[in-house]
Amino acid sequence: MYKKILILLLFIVPAGCTNLDEEVYDLVPESEYQPGTGDIPSIIAPAYTVLRGMYAGWQGNFDLQEEPADVLVTPNRPNGWYDAGTYQIMHKHDWPSNQWQPENVWQHAFSGINNANRIIFQIEEGKIPVTSGKEELIAELRTARAFYYSVLIDTHGNVPIVTDFRDGSAPSQSTRQQVFDFIVKELNECMPLLSMEVSKVTYGRFNRWTAKAILARLYLNAQVYIGVTKWDECIATCDDIFNSAKYSLEESYKTNFVTENHNSKETIFAVPYDEIFASQNSIHMKTLATAHRNVLNMAAQPWGGNCAVPQFIDTYDADDTRKKDTWIMGPQYSVSTGALILTYRKEVPSMNGTDYFDGYRIGKYEIKTGARGGLSTDYIIFRYSDIKMMKAECLLRKGLSGDAALLVTEVRQRAFATTNPAKATVTGAQLLLGSVYQYGYQEINGTISGLEGGADIQFGRFYDELGWEFAAEGHRRMDMIRFGVFARKSWFNHRPKNDGKLRTLFPIPQDEIDKNPNLVQNPDYR
Amino acid sequence: MINTATVVKVMCILWLCLTCHVSQAAIHLAPITVSGTITDKTTGDPVPGATVRIKGTSAGVTTNETGYYKIEVPGSESILVISITGYATQEIAVGTQTTINVALTTQASDLDEVVVIGYGTQRKGDVTSAVASVKADNFVKGFAKDAGQLIQGKVAGLAVTTPSGDPNANTQISLRGNSTLMASTSPLVLIDGIPGSLNTVSPEDIESIDVLKDGSAAAIYGTRGTNGVVLITTRKKGNRPATLSYDGYVSIQTIARKMEFLDAADYRRLLAEGFFVPTANEKWDYGTSTNWLDEITRTPVSHTHNLTLQGGTAQTNYVASVNVRQWEGLFNRSENKQLIGRIDVNHSMLDNKLKFNVNVIGRNRKFFAAPNYAYIYRQALIRNPTDSVYTYDGKWDEDPNGFNYDNPVRPIEEVDGESRATELRFNGNIIYSPIKDFNIKLLLSGAKTSELTGYYETFDNRASIVNNRKGYGSRGAGHFQDNLLELTADYSKNFGRSKFTILGGYGYQDVTREGFSAWNSDFPTELYTYNRLQSGDAVSNPFATTGMRGVSSYKNNYKLIGFFGRLNYAWEDKYLLMATIRHEGSSKFGVNYKWGTFSAFSAGWRISQEAFLKGSNVVNDLKIRAGYGITGTAPNDPYMSIIVLNYNTDSRFLYNGTWIQPVEPNRNSNPDLRWEKKEEINVGIDFSLFNSRLSGSLDVYQRDTKDMLYDFPVPVPPNLFGSTLANAGRMRNRGVEVLLNYEIIRSRDISLSSNITYMNNKNTLMSISNDLYKTSNDFFFAGHTGEPIQVTTHRVKVGEPIGNFYGYKSVDIDADGNWIIEGKDGKPKPIDDAVPDDRKVLGNGIARHTAGWNLAFRYKQFSLNLNMRGAFGYQILNFQRMYYENPTIKQYNMLKTAFDKVYGKRELANPLAYVSHYIENGNHWKFDNITLGYNVDVSSSKYFKQARVYVSGLNLLVLTGYKGIDPEISRLGLDAGNDSRDKYPTTRTFTIGTNITF
Repeated sequence: MYKKILILLLFIVPAGCTNLDEEVYDLVPESEYQPGTGDIPSIIAPAYTVLRGMYAGWQGNFDLQEEPADVLVTPNRPNGWYDAGTYQIMHKHDWPSNQWQPENVWQHAFSGINNANRIIFQIEEGKIPVTSGKEELIAELRTARAFYYSVLIDTHGNVPIVTDFRDGSAPSQSTRQQVFDFIVKELNECMPLLSMEVSKVTYGRFNRWTAKAILARLYLNAQVYIGVTKWDECIATCDDIFNSAKYSLEESYKTNFVTENHNSKETIFAVPYDEIFASQNSIHMKTLATAHRNVLNMAAQPWGGNCAVPQFIDTYDADDTRKKDTWIMGPQYSVSTGALILTYRKEVPSMNGTDYFDGYRIGKYEIKTGARGGLSTDYIIFRYSDIKMMKAECLLRKGLSGDAALLVTEVRQRAFATTNPAKATVTGAQLLLGSVYQYGYQEINGTISGLEGGADIQFGRFYDELGWEFAAEGHRRMDMIRFGVFARKSWFNHRPKNDGKLRTLFPIPQDEIDKNPNLVQNPDYR
Repeated sequence: MINTATVVKVMCILWLCLTCHVSQAAIHLAPITVSGTITDKTTGDPVPGATVRIKGTSAGVTTNETGYYKIEVPGSESILVISITGYATQEIAVGTQTTINVALTTQASDLDEVVVIGYGTQRKGDVTSAVASVKADNFVKGFAKDAGQLIQGKVAGLAVTTPSGDPNANTQISLRGNSTLMASTSPLVLIDGIPGSLNTVSPEDIESIDVLKDGSAAAIYGTRGTNGVVLITTRKKGNRPATLSYDGYVSIQTIARKMEFLDAADYRRLLAEGFFVPTANEKWDYGTSTNWLDEITRTPVSHTHNLTLQGGTAQTNYVASVNVRQWEGLFNRSENKQLIGRIDVNHSMLDNKLKFNVNVIGRNRKFFAAPNYAYIYRQALIRNPTDSVYTYDGKWDEDPNGFNYDNPVRPIEEVDGESRATELRFNGNIIYSPIKDFNIKLLLSGAKTSELTGYYETFDNRASIVNNRKGYGSRGAGHFQDNLLELTADYSKNFGRSKFTILGGYGYQDVTREGFSAWNSDFPTELYTYNRLQSGDAVSNPFATTGMRGVSSYKNNYKLIGFFGRLNYAWEDKYLLMATIRHEGSSKFGVNYKWGTFSAFSAGWRISQEAFLKGSNVVNDLKIRAGYGITGTAPNDPYMSIIVLNYNTDSRFLYNGTWIQPVEPNRNSNPDLRWEKKEEINVGIDFSLFNSRLSGSLDVYQRDTKDMLYDFPVPVPPNLFGSTLANAGRMRNRGVEVLLNYEIIRSRDISLSSNITYMNNKNTLMSISNDLYKTSNDFFFAGHTGEPIQVTTHRVKVGEPIGNFYGYKSVDIDADGNWIIEGKDGKPKPIDDAVPDDRKVLGNGIARHTAGWNLAFRYKQFSLNLNMRGAFGYQILNFQRMYYENPTIKQYNMLKTAFDKVYGKRELANPLAYVSHYIENGNHWKFDNITLGYNVDVSSSKYFKQARVYVSGLNLLVLTGYKGIDPEISRLGLDAGNDSRDKYPTTRTFTIGTNITF
């Protein structure tokens, strides 16, 4: 009888009723994706779009470079910002191996690297119909990969080098030296294939000059990264960019940071943002007080967090217009009614007891009337003045302070053009002076206890110049390390650890060590 | 010898039969009319609805409400068979009698009850696996949200919790603890064999609920069976003559327990004492006194009405019901309005060879498309009680400096919205029985749910102001279609003392979900609300963000196909065996593992049928049984195994001046994805003693989950994403379940019965690795405190149970009011010096012991039911205390207890932190439901067949040391024991209701 039933069942059940293929409607199954040449931009896009969360996004590389440094601070306010002490940890260099901000940058950078590898693999396999310019496209993607490694060599140092998308095994770790060599080799190999064009076609993409800028910054920091100076290599690379004559300093400092800053002649490489299509630039949201919404009739309610360290504000020359071009200070009036909404004061009592309007806010990136949760301002990674200053620093360190002073003066001119043009000029001798930063621990009443000052910092004046020119551009941690300040000085509520651990590298994320047995923790965190 | 004896026996029987027929044919007498009354032997009450049938024919009648019947029999040789559920069937030869009164004894054993076991039924006595059955008579009385609440505390091993006061929230059910790491631990719910949810049918329309607890019972449901199966059987068979019954009740709810926050007077006192220091931006006292919780809550009144019409003939009968609910929620404007209609029609023809059943359930649900009440509730708790709802000029009062600090009344009042859902379930089956005991059944079902929502925020809504938009409107529609085809055949046959039942079947399920929504803002008028979305200007504004306008749609599908078979074998009703197998495939699995096979085996020995116990006065029934079965779990979402690409609209790529959409993979794929399997061994005993006054069961189980589905952490690089859904890991659950029923008093006027359930479960994670996926750590973290503490709350570690709290153990407080914690070395240290290694296991959020105790008392027409339940041996992380019992956070209102001395020393001065101070014991005993009923005597009435009125109270008393609102919290998931700070105040419900049958 059982057989009969079975036969009956098999007879009744239509053969098609055992088909279990997935029917996919609102996703694209890779197996059915057959791209044409018109799809290439969409396919290579993931190698770039990761930059947006990675830089000006929530706790991206901008914050990772600024929070541990001496220009910006995120104190605890009445409306929050304690967040399990995460900003205090960053300020005090207390980060454990599972601190999430460094891990954020690791995840973003490797997402860029893995996507670049994935796309290179697809092109090489012929899965993407690249009819012409195949080598050039691969070179661009390799440059993207080298760029991500140039971030990782700075933040995590000893990271795995992965180049083959098919290899799914847990990769082994490379030394900082190996990573350095890899970046240099990749960039030099790709360089001849990269576009020399500077136009909207190459805007936000890796052209030859961006590759040179990556290399220049790598050489500038070579002493930190591999213990070998590369001043001449840096100068030569900077000169290549000067000689291209593709870029120039903008007349106005502000032009670099306006909402439509993609037109700046100074920008070499920027991460494009847009308030509608790419809305992750939230630097203004983190810095503005909540009530600032009423000043600009904003279409979003800012979060009211970070602000300037008062000691840094005190370093500015009174005539330096970069101060007002970088910070939002004092009374703020409604753009529609003219009524006083709030007043930002310079003073920030401490990491713990800070009121809503304490501390100057980042105003460098234009926040237009009616601004939204995301700024359209593009985040600049390399600009021409950066190249000028890199070369100047190398000259200074090579003993050519006079030549360096000429370049620094060139950069300073627009900052004093409307106030006191004579002050723009600096001399080589000045650059050899120390820093005017009043290092020391800030008490609640604003006084500095145990004043350390900055006179002892070699080339301190040049270091100050970097601060004024690039404040709130995500440079400061790198500069502090290169000038030996990072692990030595006290500022605001930060005191040096003096425990033999410099913490100039962040820890390899504990999560990744847990998942990949080939990874060894960086020495300061073992 | 034996063979010869058997042959002789058979021949004798044959001869007897023949003689019978001959004699019957020979003595053909005139018909006789017999009448009489059927009563209950114990109580003497009449038994209405009993069937009086002439043996060997299908002719029969039913007793009326007074127990009276009248039947015409062919002659004096006729035998009457009197049967009704709950009583032992009796046979009486007519002889010369014309009046036959019969007193029925209540059924010797509830082991003769019919139990639903999936694709069929079984006598409870024949069941060899862990199955629990609750009939309508034993349901929890009074206000019931859904089917879950009917059996709360009634089934050992089934935890039913009502974690929310939200009128739209369902009860949460879980069986035998957590046996999977993935999110869903809910059992499969089938309504008359068709997948649904606990609220698919109204509780008043349910006849019985059966629960398949162990793997040997659930294996026939393959990949859906791991968390157990709840089989809901609706009222099926119509009565003759037709009856109409009405059930109705009205409930009110009051807040039973809430957390005590500072009031306006406390604020003024603390300001005077210098605790609050006024500044330019914060004056602390805003001059009014507002109880913010009162401003957003009310005393909700809810009513429910149910009408059921049953009737028909032997060939055709029907059940039709209408259920109306108008439920108000505790928070202003929250509601749930529902209309459920159901028609069930049965028809049999061709001498019962062909049977049809058609069942239609329609459900309309409507509720206020609510703002985010959890957020509103939090705002009410933390808001300054001296602040007012309105400013002097009648506007909403808001604080310009507050971030996530909003007037809680405003988002309730400044919105409009409605959500409607229509569920229509058609199902029908045809049973063809070509020969005796052979049935072929075809079941077809289509369940369709359509949802339509509309939501509008006015110009003066805070979100409109903050986001610079003039109003915001949205509409959304969703459609969900679940089609099922099942073809089964079963055959029963007795061979001598052996009895076989075999079942074979095929099932095909196809589920599609699709929907779309649209939203827009900047409307010219408030009058359209969400009804004319095109009038908003944002849609044509090229600079509008997706937050202001947009559209979205989705569609997905999965299929499940199964071939299954079951064999039941019984020898002399003494030795019982059951074997099942299911070969099942799911489209959700990887291409390499589309199909899987699930098998089960169970056996029972009915010792009471053995000669040495048969006829015992003490032991009425005794059975031991053991079972083994494999069940599975499929991933929650489809398409997890294949590589899929997505165009990303929100984070675009600037290509040659144009923002284009990147195309990118959105997860690591895993072509080896397959079902998670659970192997379960269950050993149990069923007993019925002392004239069935004491009955119950005891089950011991071990469930081993293997190939556990988990978002396995994988290294980046080389992977694109940090986790891959994979099968890795093992988990073990062991437990004991006890069910005890005791009829303490059983007499005509008075009865008292007690029902006790108990369960104990021990969970251990055995491994989270396999050959492919290895971790250097044998743990991961789960659960999160949320902002602003921002740490994980639980650790899931190999060798430990799920639900372990993991954090700093606070042991003291220092002179400055900061926590002293116990370091890794066991020595105290300041929390500022704490390192992650100092964290410890601080308790466990899953109850080790849960118990229920139900008492039913009847005195004449009065009945009193008491349901109690409790849970023991677990801890709760009290989020409300963790966030609001801290005097350093002055910006938000705090609990009065924030000023209590910690460790008897001083007030806390530490910033918010997750420490063991906030972890409390959750032990509790709840007097959950007390119902007092009165059966009105309707024996003299011409119209009423039955009438009952009752009053009931729900959640009346909780005995606990827990300081939070309610220790009965969600026990599901990896973060069990977290008592959210947004937890609604629990309510006490008082109900008055009636059941009337015409």
